[in-house]
Amino acid sequence: MIGRPTAIALIAIGVVLTATALVLPWYSTGYAGGVEVVVRAWGTEIVNKPGDWPAGELSPWYGLPVAVALALLVAGVWVTRAALAGAAGQLGAAGIIAALVVSERGHAIEQQGDFAIGFGLVFLAVGTVVALAGAVAVQREAA
Amino acid sequence: MRKIAGTVLFVLAAAAAVGATFLPFSELLIRLAPGQPQTAYVTTGWSTHFGGTKDEHGPLFAIPVVLAAVAVLAGVRWRKVAYAGAAALAGVTGMLFVYLLNAISFHEEGNIAIDPALEAGFGNGIWVLITAVVLAFGAVVVHPDD
Repeated sequence: MIGRPTAIALIAIGVVLTATALVLPWYSTGYAGGVEVVVRAWGTEIVNKPGDWPAGELSPWYGLPVAVALALLVAGVWVTRAALAGAAGQLGAAGIIAALVVSERGHAIEQQGDFAIGFGLVFLAVGTVVALAGAVAVQREAA
Repeated sequence: MRKIAGTVLFVLAAAAAVGATFLPFSELLIRLAPGQPQTAYVTTGWSTHFGGTKDEHGPLFAIPVVLAAVAVLAGVRWRKVAYAGAAALAGVTGMLFVYLLNAISFHEEGNIAIDPALEAGFGNGIWVLITAVVLAFGAVVVHPDD
């Protein structure tokens, strides 16, 4: 048992780390001609975009489910179960991002491009683990 | 009685989630040249195909879905694990929905000049997955406390 104050502190650290992840780049892929695709929580930025490529914008708002999870984590200070829902939901959402990252890395390597993980993804991963540890500890304290 | 109902719902939710991974999450039907048959671009939890060609690096969305389904199934014994599993399944589904919504829009915008009659949309898999989330939370509510 680590005590409720420590558990709440872990959740708070998880929230801050995840919130920081929402403003940092998550990952990027580089291709010939200096084309770089930078994926962030609130959209994808294409540096040196060739005139007609791509015709559409693949720019999902990955930050939206993470923001909902963050709101639940914050609510967890008052409603114990909300923290567990938020942390587990964030873990699930991060699982989809992990699947996408592995896929994008494979595509980049296949096309002899570069792939780089951004600080945003590191903060998201660490924030998720820390928040989950705090949420589980809060549950144990409440039991 | 509540325990039996809860157990049945947990099993149904987990089965629906795993089953959803084998169904299409999104589909694009496009004619690459006038007069040619439509080619299907289909994403499931386990693969992405464009016609007969498999994308060797297609995202394996099924892995987080199956892990969350296992946690939901654990609810038969540990209700709190099932609650976390249901929340994880909701997180998986929410993030997948955000990705697919944008990918479908991208398919439409990017290919409208090639085939104005193209069809792009969600597949049955995403709806089954959303149903699994509802069933999982329903099971948590119905199942008695540990």
